[in-house]
Amino acid sequence: MKNWVIRQLVPALLRLMAFQFNHRASLRKSLKSDQGWINFTIGFRTEDRAFQGGLSFLDGKVTAESFMLESPDTTMVFANEAVMLEMISHTPNEVLDMLMLNKIKLEGNFTYLNLFNFYLSTLLGGFHQRMEIKRRRRHKLQRKEVAKTENGPGEKSRTTTPERLHAPTIDPGVRYLKNPYLSDLGLTDFPRLQGFLSRHFSKRPEICPERSRLLTRWYKKNGFETDGQGNPWSPELRQGQAYKYLMENKEPIIRKDDLLAGTTTSKPVGVTIYPDAHGTMIWGELLSAPNRELNPYNISSETVEVLHKEVFPFWINRNFREWVRRRYDNPLCQKLDERFAVYFVWKTVGISHTIPDFPSLLALGTSGIIEKIHQAIVKANGDVTRVNPLRAMILAAEGLNAYADNLSKQATKDAQNELDTERQAQLRRLAEICRRVPKNPPRTLDEAVNAIWITWIGMHNENTNTGLSLGRLDTWLQPYFEQDMAACKTEKARDACIRKTVELVGCLFLACCDHVPLIPDIGNYLFGGSSSDQAITLGGVHADGTDAVCDMTYIFLKVTEMLGIRDPNVNARYKPGVSSDAYLQRLCEVNKITGATPSLHNDEAVLASISQHGYPLGEARDWSAIGCVEPTIPGKQFGHTGSMLISVVAAIEMALGNGTHPLMNWKVGPETGEEFDSFEEFVKAFEGQFSFLIDQAVAYNNMLANAHAAIRPTPLLSAMMDDCVEKAKDVVNGGARYNSSGVALIGLADVTDSLMAIKTLVFDQKKTTLREFQEAIQDNFQSHPKLLSLVKNKAPKFGSGNAEAKEMAERVARFAHEQLNAHRNYRGGPYTTGFWSMSNHVAFGTLAGALPSGRLRGKAFTPGLTPQPGASVNLLDNLRDVASLDPKNMDNNMAFNVKVVPGGADSHQQIVDRMAAYVKAYFSMGGMQMQMNMVSSETLRQAMADPDSYKQLLVRISGYNAYFTTLNRDMQIELIERSEYGI
Amino acid sequence: MSRQATLIFEIKGNALDDGPGIRSVVFFKGCPLSCAWCHNPEGQNRQAEIIFDGEKCIGCDSCIEVCKQQALSRNLIGFLDRGKCDLCGDCLEQCPSGALAKCGMSLSVNEVCSRVEKDIPFYTASGGGVTLSGGEPAMYPEFAGEVAAKLRQRHVHVLLETAGFFDSAAFDRFLYPHLDAIYFDIKIMDPARHKELCGVDNKRILENFRNLFRRSKEGGVCVLPRVPLIPGMTATQENLEDIANLLKEVGADQVALLPYHPFWMGKLARLGRSGLPAMGGENLARLMTPDELAECRSPFGNMRIVGT
Repeated sequence: MKNWVIRQLVPALLRLMAFQFNHRASLRKSLKSDQGWINFTIGFRTEDRAFQGGLSFLDGKVTAESFMLESPDTTMVFANEAVMLEMISHTPNEVLDMLMLNKIKLEGNFTYLNLFNFYLSTLLGGFHQRMEIKRRRRHKLQRKEVAKTENGPGEKSRTTTPERLHAPTIDPGVRYLKNPYLSDLGLTDFPRLQGFLSRHFSKRPEICPERSRLLTRWYKKNGFETDGQGNPWSPELRQGQAYKYLMENKEPIIRKDDLLAGTTTSKPVGVTIYPDAHGTMIWGELLSAPNRELNPYNISSETVEVLHKEVFPFWINRNFREWVRRRYDNPLCQKLDERFAVYFVWKTVGISHTIPDFPSLLALGTSGIIEKIHQAIVKANGDVTRVNPLRAMILAAEGLNAYADNLSKQATKDAQNELDTERQAQLRRLAEICRRVPKNPPRTLDEAVNAIWITWIGMHNENTNTGLSLGRLDTWLQPYFEQDMAACKTEKARDACIRKTVELVGCLFLACCDHVPLIPDIGNYLFGGSSSDQAITLGGVHADGTDAVCDMTYIFLKVTEMLGIRDPNVNARYKPGVSSDAYLQRLCEVNKITGATPSLHNDEAVLASISQHGYPLGEARDWSAIGCVEPTIPGKQFGHTGSMLISVVAAIEMALGNGTHPLMNWKVGPETGEEFDSFEEFVKAFEGQFSFLIDQAVAYNNMLANAHAAIRPTPLLSAMMDDCVEKAKDVVNGGARYNSSGVALIGLADVTDSLMAIKTLVFDQKKTTLREFQEAIQDNFQSHPKLLSLVKNKAPKFGSGNAEAKEMAERVARFAHEQLNAHRNYRGGPYTTGFWSMSNHVAFGTLAGALPSGRLRGKAFTPGLTPQPGASVNLLDNLRDVASLDPKNMDNNMAFNVKVVPGGADSHQQIVDRMAAYVKAYFSMGGMQMQMNMVSSETLRQAMADPDSYKQLLVRISGYNAYFTTLNRDMQIELIERSEYGI
Repeated sequence: MSRQATLIFEIKGNALDDGPGIRSVVFFKGCPLSCAWCHNPEGQNRQAEIIFDGEKCIGCDSCIEVCKQQALSRNLIGFLDRGKCDLCGDCLEQCPSGALAKCGMSLSVNEVCSRVEKDIPFYTASGGGVTLSGGEPAMYPEFAGEVAAKLRQRHVHVLLETAGFFDSAAFDRFLYPHLDAIYFDIKIMDPARHKELCGVDNKRILENFRNLFRRSKEGGVCVLPRVPLIPGMTATQENLEDIANLLKEVGADQVALLPYHPFWMGKLARLGRSGLPAMGGENLARLMTPDELAECRSPFGNMRIVGT
């Protein structure tokens, strides 16, 4: 009966919607872009086709149909009528949630759904806003889960200790700092930075249309697929020209009080829009973005108008995803990606994950680079396939130069209007700097930093702000620091120069925060609170193996400590036997003060890992982190280190379902068997599903790469990546010297624990059957409390010190590596294997059912390859097990989170010493990477609701045999208040 | 001589309060004392025991079904009748949640060593090592001595926590030569009161203490005297003054004072021992206040005090 009602209600609503649009002038206007009516059809049906209907938007008239339209541009498929009813009562944002939860499927062009949502949003008007508020309340708990993700420093986790340690020794590379720890300096010494920092925390990001508007305008005038004469564009040349136009016309802004010139967008904190990538995903949220609960964006009505009328319609079919859909006829690998539960292929968003060759830029300037390219053009001898990419690179570099010129003029103008004489002088200096760089090689540190910053702006205006990374800035900037210092003749002058340097680096850090990536609301599940992840890599060794730690290393660390922001993402390389204890101590101190940064890498283990790809040792020693943690050779390797994120857990679920994925309710995987006589047979099934998922993800990645080659080559980046000029090829076509695609595998601990549970309880001890597990999983263990208890308490876990469990994790990692390393990407390079997760361990966890490991439905997986919190009460078991994993299987690094809670009874020095001891021991045992999350006692109190995550919390009572979570709640609170707990 | 197995009831890693650096603590089961406030009551009895943690129990009744002695029943206070139980272990095998667990494992010297040797990298990096505690490790001088000797061969720092009631000949022969440090508990000076609250006379304890401390000043193993502060029992002005005098007498310049905590009471229930000590009353149910702790420190005057 209910279904009948729904089947009447929906067409009525569609007719109402059509009526509204046909008869309200304000709504009708939005049916038009600046190129004419936006024509499309959208279909709606239930899975069983009991209900079918649609809306057609044609030449300004909206018609509601009660039958299925012929080849609609996009169709929403509802699991059943109940889901349709749900959709009616939810906000447009929640419709995307329902997509993720697989209650709704989409067929056809996604972009039209976003447009439809925009229309719904305009129709609902203020009602939509009120619904958003209601929805916020409803989803409060779910959001808490997302917000609790452990990637990166928490805003509230800074400790408030005023104490600062002094460097006990001076590293050989430190030339000038008497106390490298710079303990005497604090944020209050830098009012300029204080000002920027407080604005950073208070300013809400605003959607910026500048880049997309300028580019779209150019494409409309000059053509995208074909030029004005109807000839097909060379994609590189087209991009080069369009980019030059963009940068020539980009508004040159000098931020108030800044020591750097230029801004990434036209807004103080801008949300960048890349409509060739995923920019159109915000279409449906243009009106609601300011009101959404997580990461709201401001947007002016002018921007809404620009994006809806001038920009987005142009890109409906011209984005990476839709290009693949058309070209490859909506392949299976794409369908899988669009069901969200098994993998996420990043090229729909961008291929930034890389580090440009900054040393070359600093040595040659853009004019030197342009000269190099001219020579290459001569060598190309008229071969158009080589000349076009090279010309594109020159055009892009010229665009960057034009922008710098405009900045210089702007600085002069601002100086003329400036009343404060000190600021006036600074602006004049900036004008001077921008006349000089990045065209010419910088001579001083402020020129060098501005050269890098302006180039960085250029990079982000060409390419999505997703993981583009800055590399070894300490090592690369050190010569300029030394020059500046050598020019100082007195102690006083040197001190002032050091302070100026700290301030300049601080400005760079904060400038990097002037943009955030576009995250549509659905992405708040997948990437909750992520930033651009611009990684900086400190320390390590030089090409000859000697210690690279220098003055700038410590200056960067000081800035990291003072600001405590999560982006740029600071990574530190430590080489056992070469790097000093003083350096390690400082790294731990900064971690303690900031709560979770920098991330620590064992140079030995990383080098052992990447050496399998045959890089010359000197180049390998130059490795830097990208995005989160992934290693590449800066300036030489186009590694797209985050090309795909795969849920390994999905392979377990599908193995238990003979190819059917439970949430998707789709038998998409191979048939790997229903009954298993031995554990090895089950492992075979798991491996079968796992390699299927890998094959599909790889296929989609390679197809999307072709989309990039057609839609968005990146000539500026190519001009600054080694060998692109020599090969006369854009990076997307394999111009870089080294090519690879990096993968992140998510859920290793959950998978290992599940396999161990099955092996131990089903096959070894025969305490239960696989059938019982399957039943238990179906009902989320509700009717199987004994099995759940058995699994949690009697099955060995990864990270518990149990050798068999560790070996199982090793086995899974080895298999993953073998599979991935055997594939070649579209540029001829290998796929590399990583075990980090950003925040996707939460997203994939939400979309996964219960597991044999005892993990309940919808619960997050562990981050990276961190063991289950309950695996052991002894932190050292975690450290030992992770440290013993073979680095060969982790050539795209790992993320291992170690939660530490500083006790009140210990001194600052004692705590830092202890942290350093953990790290040193862990590295000495071969551990590759470690990220410490310092937890404050305030959050600890809130976390009392989640004791499973704090099993390792110690009761700090000598001679007493107990663990914190075994105490009753009131006693725990008492202890916290007495700070009697510890690291 | 028939020897009962030496039982270990816990090996706790990443311990930060049982000596310098990061340590592993080996808890020996069995103690000659029976202090009224013992915060590791599971260490008093040298036999293996079954502990039952009601909060972990999921009520599946698998244990009740297999018990041949019918020693388990939900009608019993404490669930397990330890009089009937013959420690066959069938219920432990069945229990899915670990609510029923055996306290006291029989480990060989080599097994103990291999467990704690895994963490040598952490000891090295932090200046830590292994601590022998319990119960009373000195009740097993040969076993503990073998463990200590093996560890020191691997350059691991070995520290002993003791209540001091041991046979000094056996101690000196088997254990003392292999120690790097000793934490020695002084609880109550008055012999009668000591007997009343700790179950034994304190003469031997004080003899051992004086002996070891003298030797420590002559280049022997260093000794740190420790006083557990128990309201109304050890933490009286009289007792603390007496202890301070003893320490002055032997020439000690530092002492560890261990603030009282009430968290051991939960363990009694799990051991099936009910009834809190009659004395002490409500002071035993809470942590000590900073004022109370300050009062405890005052008899020790200028001595260096660690722990509070």
